[in-house]
Parts: sequence; C-alpha cells; structure tokens
Amino acid sequence: MEDVNKINELFQTQLKDRLKGLEKLRISVILFTMLLVLAIVVFIVVGYLLSEVNNTVLYIWIGIFVLSIGLFGNLISKRKKAYYHQYKATVVAEIIRLIDPTWVYHYDQCIGRTDYHQSELFRQECDRYMGDDFVYGNIDKTDFQFSELHTQYKTYSTDSQGRRHEQWVTIFKGIFMHADFNKFIGGKTFVQPDKAERLFGKLGQMFQKISSKGELIKLENPEFEKMFVVHGSDQIESRYILTPTMMEAMVAIQKKYSRPISYSFIGSRVYLAMSFTKDLFEPRIMSSGVKITDIQEMYDLFKIIEVIIKEMNLNTRIWTKE
Amino acid sequence: MSTLGIIIIVAVVLLLLIIMGMYNGLIRRKNAVENAFGGIDAQLKQRYDLIPNLVSTVKQYASHEKGILEKITELRVRAVSGGLTNDEKVALDNEISQSMKGIMVAVENYPDLKASENFLNLQRTLNEVESQISAARRAYNATVTDYNNGVESFPSSILAGMMNMKHKQVFEIPDTERANVNVSNLFNN
Repeated sequence: MEDVNKINELFQTQLKDRLKGLEKLRISVILFTMLLVLAIVVFIVVGYLLSEVNNTVLYIWIGIFVLSIGLFGNLISKRKKAYYHQYKATVVAEIIRLIDPTWVYHYDQCIGRTDYHQSELFRQECDRYMGDDFVYGNIDKTDFQFSELHTQYKTYSTDSQGRRHEQWVTIFKGIFMHADFNKFIGGKTFVQPDKAERLFGKLGQMFQKISSKGELIKLENPEFEKMFVVHGSDQIESRYILTPTMMEAMVAIQKKYSRPISYSFIGSRVYLAMSFTKDLFEPRIMSSGVKITDIQEMYDLFKIIEVIIKEMNLNTRIWTKE
Repeated sequence: MSTLGIIIIVAVVLLLLIIMGMYNGLIRRKNAVENAFGGIDAQLKQRYDLIPNLVSTVKQYASHEKGILEKITELRVRAVSGGLTNDEKVALDNEISQSMKGIMVAVENYPDLKASENFLNLQRTLNEVESQISAARRAYNATVTDYNNGVESFPSSILAGMMNMKHKQVFEIPDTERANVNVSNLFNN
C-alpha cells in the first residue's frame, strides 16, 4: 500500500507534467508518420501522371522523392529516439530514484557479456547480444547489477526451392541480474525451472540425471522440487547454498512473479535470469505515455532487485565471508 | 533347438540381466550412503579443529567457565582418537553440539569476550561449519532415502534381504538448524 502511495505521489507531483510535455513529441512522431504515408500516395499518383507526359521530368521527380523520403524518414526516427531517451531519462530514472536514490541508471547500457557468460545459465554461443536499462548499486552490503537482455543466435533454414534463409533464434529475453552472494562458493550450482518433471513425471527425472551442469540434486522441499530442478558440482555445497530458508525464498519469488526463473551460484555471485516475452521499460508510441499503470509496472519490475536480495537474505553476513 | 528352448534361454538371460541391474543399483546406493557419511565426517573434523581455538579464546576472558571448557576438550579428545562407529560418532557429535551451545550462552556474561576480534572470527567460522554440517546431513539424508527406497520397494527388496541390507535411519535435523538465521539470533541476543 505504501508503495502505491509513493508512486501516486511521484506521478502526480513530478511525472505527470513532464509526461504531458513529452506527449507533444510523441504526437509529432505519429503525425509525421501519417504525413509520410500521405506523401507516398501523392508521389505515386503524380508519378503516374508524369509518366504519361515526359520521362525526364519523371526521373527528376523520382530523385526528389527518394531524397525527401530519406530526409523525412530520418527526421521521424530521430524524433522517435528522442522520445524514447527523454522518457527513460525523466520517467524511468525517477522511478529508480524513488526506490533507492543511490542506485545508478544508464538506459543505453546493459550487463556485460563476461558476466552473462560467467553465469553459465545459457551455454549456447550467442551471435547477437543486446540490452538496455542497466541499474547497479548496493543494498546494504550486497552489490548488484541488473539489466534487460536479449540474446540470439543465427541459424539457416533451407526452403523447398533450396534457398537459404537466415533466422534469429532467441536464447534469452528478459531480466538478468547478479549480486554478491553471502557465502564462499567453490563449485557451481544451477537452479532451473523444472520442465522435464512437469511434463514427463518420473520419466522426466531420469532425463534430469543426464545434464552437462553436474549431478542432479534432490532436495527435501516438495514445493520447491515441483518448481525447480537443481544440478551442481558438489552435493554438499549445493545444499550449503540451498538451505531450507533459501528454498522457501525461491518458492516465494516464483509465486510472486510467475515467470520462468533460472539461478546459478558461481564464484561468490548469484546470477538470476527471469524470462519475459515482451520488451520491458519501453514507452509505446501509439498510446499515451501519461499512464500511472505503466509507472506502477516498471516500479514493480525494478523492485525485483530488492525482493531478491531481501528474500534471499543476502545481507546476512554471519558466515566467514564478510 | 525348439522354440520353447529359445524362449526359456531368452527369459533366463533377461532375468539374470534384471537381477544384475538391481544388484548393481543397490550396491551403488549403499556406496553413496557411505560416501555421504564421509562428507559429514569431513565437516565434523573441521569443527573438532576449531575447538582448541575456541577454548583458548574463551579461557582468556572467562576463567569461571572452566567446567564446560574441560568437558568440551575431553569430548574432542574422544572424537579425534578414532576407532568409533558411525553411530558413536553421531552421538558424540550431538554432545559436542550441546556443549558448544552451552559455551555460546555462557559467553553472554562476558561482553569483552563477545566484542573481541578473535571471538567474532571464531563465531563466523563456527556458523560456517555448522551450516556445512547441516548441508552434509541433508545430503546424507537424501542418499539414505534413495537407499531405503531401493531396499524396501519390490522387487529389489527380495535381493536386498538376501544381501542383508537393512533400512537405515535418517538424521533428524534439530529445529535450530532448519533456519540458519536463527543461529545468528542465538548469538546476537
């Protein structure tokens, strides 16, 4: 409830006016796009008429058209970018400041490739690595990094006529985050959504035993076992990480967000990848940006950082790692 | 050779293969249990190694707690002397856990001790070892459950009976170990 009030206040006192200011920019993008369509129609009609009269004039006409469409298109894309950037710099940045003013936000950056690879959550080599909305900072003793990521690989398919087509396949799309873990880790532990067991039951468990990510680790929390499958390099260490409280935290996080979530615990850090199908933290051009529901949704998504660190008790430093 | 003969041979070979599979499965589970106990043992040894350090640190500040310190030293000597069965090790470990808790409660009366750097370090290391022991116990329990499933479910139970493999007890994890945050509460009161 407190959160809702905070967002409401921010929206009413700061964001609403700024968003209204941005509306002009957004509407201009729509208007310019409509003008562009109209210009194309006019061109075709005039071009058709000119072709009946004189070819030289027609070529000049085509030249003028191509040039002006290029300039016009460029103008629209610049305005569109400006709208995105201003929206992020004013709105998204404010939302983050509301959660924690010490956090740093770069809308055009993302989590580094090295961190992504170190997590070993997605072993498929990626040909395209994109992301934005990079947030980093500390909650008490725990430092973290967070961003939206989209990774893809390229594949070719051949159609019936023997033509090769390039295809981009998504490896991961969604929120990627990593934070300092409060215990020393020597091996690797992976917690992933349990698809095999849900689909094939006992038989699925047999498939789970065969994994490149280490031994299958069967844990004693039935609710957790239904949601996740755990693999690790060391049976004891994985249980040292996945204490009963940690398992309960993961169950609670899963219930709160109901998105596929994968975790890995490697080299003193916990990595988390939460899949989404849609783009996050992006304004829509075709509908008004002055909407509190959008703000609320973004706030909830950034709150994931805090929820993860608090639920997992990452700030509890009673073990040898300080 | 008659068809019946072939069927009988195939059936016998199949049966032998099944029995072999079950036998190997049971042996694997039995070894996994022993291996997991080894895991606990390794963690317990780490705790034994910490005891002399703990005793000497506490002694400096809390000379009145001589009784409890002597007791834990004696328990440690027994634990490291060797020649204990697994059950004896477990029983001894429980006693050591109790005495350790006793020391931690006694420490409450000595603010200087509680604040000393050395003791704080020890406390962290102890938490670490306790968490590791707890994890090792849970790993052991998982292998024992797997073993018991093999020993008690039909038809491998028949073979297990012949091999004299019996149901094994799992560790009961005390409530205080269920949530590691409680351990910190124990210290920070």
